[in-house]
Amino acid sequence: MNSSDPSESTNPPSNERGGEFRKKGFKVFGLDLQDFIKFFFSGNASLAIVILILICVFLAREAALFFPDHHKGLKAYRQSGQELVDFVGEEVNAFTALYSSSNIAYYAELNESSLEQDNLLAAYRSVLSLVKNETSRVRDRLEDKLDDLEDAQDDLVDAREDLAKLDPVNDSEKVEKLKGKIEKYTKEIESLKPDIAVLEPELKKESEAILNNSLTWKFDNSDLKLTKTQIKNFREAVLYAVPNAEGEHPYIEELKKVSAAKKSVAAEKLVDFKATVTGLRDSAKEVKSLHSEMKKIASLAKREAEKFETAPGRRAALLAGAKLEKDPEAKARKIERAEAVMVEEPDFAALTKPLYDKIPEHEKLARKFEKEVEVLASQLPRKVSTKSATANLKEARKAQKRFESTVKSSLDKIDDWRHDKAYSIVGSISAFIFGRDWVTNSSWHDFYGLLPLFTGSFMISIIALVVAVPFAVSAAIYVNQLAPVKEQNFVKPAIEFIEAIPSVVLGFFGIFVLGTALRNLSQVPWLEWVPGFPMSERLTILNAGLLLAFMAMPTIFTLAEDALNNVPKAFSENSLALGASKLQTVLQVVFPTALSGIIAAALLGFGRIIGETMVVLLVAGNKIKIPDFSEGLGVVAQPAHTMTGIIAQELGEVDNGSLHWRALFMVGMVLFFISLLVNFSAQKILQRFQKI
Amino acid sequence: MKKTFALLTAVALAAGSAVAEDKIVIKGSDTLGAKMVPQLAEAYKAAGNTVSFEIAAEGSSTAFTTLLSGTGDIGMSSRNIKDSEVESFTAKGQEIKDWTAAFDMIGVIVNEKSGLENLTLKQVEGIFTGDITDWSEVGGQAGPISVYTRNTSSGTYKSFQGMAMAKRDYGSDTQKMAGNEQIAEEVAKNPNGIGYVGLAYTEKDGIKAVKVDGVELKPKNAKEYPIARSLHYYTIDGKLSAAAEKFLKWATTADEAGEVVERVGFIAPN
Repeated sequence: MNSSDPSESTNPPSNERGGEFRKKGFKVFGLDLQDFIKFFFSGNASLAIVILILICVFLAREAALFFPDHHKGLKAYRQSGQELVDFVGEEVNAFTALYSSSNIAYYAELNESSLEQDNLLAAYRSVLSLVKNETSRVRDRLEDKLDDLEDAQDDLVDAREDLAKLDPVNDSEKVEKLKGKIEKYTKEIESLKPDIAVLEPELKKESEAILNNSLTWKFDNSDLKLTKTQIKNFREAVLYAVPNAEGEHPYIEELKKVSAAKKSVAAEKLVDFKATVTGLRDSAKEVKSLHSEMKKIASLAKREAEKFETAPGRRAALLAGAKLEKDPEAKARKIERAEAVMVEEPDFAALTKPLYDKIPEHEKLARKFEKEVEVLASQLPRKVSTKSATANLKEARKAQKRFESTVKSSLDKIDDWRHDKAYSIVGSISAFIFGRDWVTNSSWHDFYGLLPLFTGSFMISIIALVVAVPFAVSAAIYVNQLAPVKEQNFVKPAIEFIEAIPSVVLGFFGIFVLGTALRNLSQVPWLEWVPGFPMSERLTILNAGLLLAFMAMPTIFTLAEDALNNVPKAFSENSLALGASKLQTVLQVVFPTALSGIIAAALLGFGRIIGETMVVLLVAGNKIKIPDFSEGLGVVAQPAHTMTGIIAQELGEVDNGSLHWRALFMVGMVLFFISLLVNFSAQKILQRFQKI
Repeated sequence: MKKTFALLTAVALAAGSAVAEDKIVIKGSDTLGAKMVPQLAEAYKAAGNTVSFEIAAEGSSTAFTTLLSGTGDIGMSSRNIKDSEVESFTAKGQEIKDWTAAFDMIGVIVNEKSGLENLTLKQVEGIFTGDITDWSEVGGQAGPISVYTRNTSSGTYKSFQGMAMAKRDYGSDTQKMAGNEQIAEEVAKNPNGIGYVGLAYTEKDGIKAVKVDGVELKPKNAKEYPIARSLHYYTIDGKLSAAAEKFLKWATTADEAGEVVERVGFIAPN
């Protein structure tokens, strides 16, 4: 700074840091400005570390407290006998799957008979809905007016009735009032009429315009071809039904009647099938009613267990309340109430005794149930005419096998079950990590199983990576190695700009644009071979994965580009000098050298997307269930829930310090570890890369 | 001396009460606080009462935390108070008072294109618990049912469970949406969708409310319709300011208040 000053330059070199560049005279406590700046920055850095440690400690403490609480909850689940009841519940659920499939098969056969009419009716409803949507502006206005008119007319009738009841002499005041009201209503009705007179033809005109162009009519069943008379009838029926009509147009009534008649004819032929299905339903009655009886007993025991769990708190609350009371009498009463709170552990042996007593009955009923189901399932028809019925009957037979094995395993489990068998800590940990149910705010029992959330998060991230990596890496190679400078200067900032889009905006885009577009695309007939198509949902794993791929792209692109940049120039120059083409150099020299950096980029991209919350919360569909992998790749068309999504969705209203609260922290902890692991491995890979 | 003192106290009291009467703070459920209570407040002011309102709708649970901390006069809730919440009031030596604010009917909605008109309560239970998975089982056109519900922090999630599902748990195939509007939006777009929303949301295009047990979803059927619940105001006994009490009495009994309540799609308590 002042080295140019000749008088200073002659000074002997100083021993202090900074030497002669140091300004003099700014010292406080022996520290000058530079020291202060240094301490300021190092202070900031250490503050960040302290905060990080505090966050970790807080997370770890809440999460660590989760397992003892979770263990307690599971212990209560066993002690109260709910576990036992759920073994019976498993039988009932396995049966429901079997019954449901055979029932669907029956209806598929029955509905086949009136398919023509039902398709026409469905088509009519589609056209009606189309017309209603397209004319919604006029229609809403007209419907409002019509509602007002109806209200005014009703009021008028009421007022006239009231008036007739009154005695004109004694209640003259009331009579005057009513007459005023009648006048008001009459005026209102008159004032509404002109508007309606304008709006009605307008609506009719608009509806006709849409109806005239029958080519725009969209049907979910695209094979349907309408005849000319049918089109004409549809027109009339729709015009009749808009805006609001009493009953249906005669043509539609007729269709419905024919459909019902055909069904009743078909039902006569299918009477055996129906009897089997009804027989199946009835066979479950006894076990079901036993199940609900047992459920009541266990619920009672569970309530006692909960009461005991919260008793100290309640007692303390009552005593604290009593302390505040000034009136001695009321105080004594409150203390008495506090003393009455049970703090003794309930006698679970006595509470669960009725459940133990039910076990022999259950065994008898379950065996009978199993036999009946076996007989009935064998009576299900082998040959059916529709595809859907065939598939569902096949499913029913599979379900029957599953039902049999469920009954067997349930009976074994029930035999082994003791309400006072210890619940191991390992058991409660694995119940969290490998649990298949996440059920909260339940009136029965809350389950905290991570697996469905983990699979959801993981699948969405994998899809995002599979889509993002090829795009981002090839973009990086192109921009870094092949693109002219002008293009580089445009493409690079453009890709990096994606990061600036708020994730909630992307979420809305996902719901309204991408979701709708994907579903419409999936309904194109010649794309039916694509796994998962046609999709019925808009909010799916695929939708969320694609959006996250978009979000991860800038991260992967930037890091991959850096990795390519770090490849020494000499490598590519040597390769070119030896006669390799530009493309050969890029693909066989530069890319392999940068590979570890690119892998690290992909990993960091993964870390970026697994922690993303807003998009998955809005777009993934929030279904807490492990996706059904039996559909193969089509699994991506299903909705799922995620670890980040569940925290955002449920943390808002849970009580501080409750088990549910801690479970959400534990999920956060798992996310934290995944991020840590991903970052750590990325660093390791990068270190290897830098050694070349 | 005594006179001046008395005068000063009187002035202070008057000032104090004037300030207290000026403002009524109402917090809690968004079912109530989104439309109904703000409109009631407007109507109340329009009826010639000089008060000001502060209304915050952040979920039923906040009704009780606000009352507990003494930062609000009235709590709005779409569910009954929980035992644990009653306890925390007991601990402070306070008794809570419950006012019926209105009745709300929850509509079961399906896509407009669905031919379904009626469901029994048993069928509703079956659909939402996952026992029934195909429309053909309840008399509709064949197709897998997509079930949309509110999420667990919602009061409606819990009350629907109590009223329509015999307290059983939701099936694992249900999709949890953030609000009424989102459910209506998805059902309107999905021909196989079903969901539930408050009465006020059933007017949306593309959806229709089915009859439950043969009863149509209309305010005049509130008594027969099986999926209806009451909405509440909660206050602390003895701590309610005169202005707030007057407002509550008006809101729960006056005819004009009843009209406002029905206009936003609920049923008046009287």
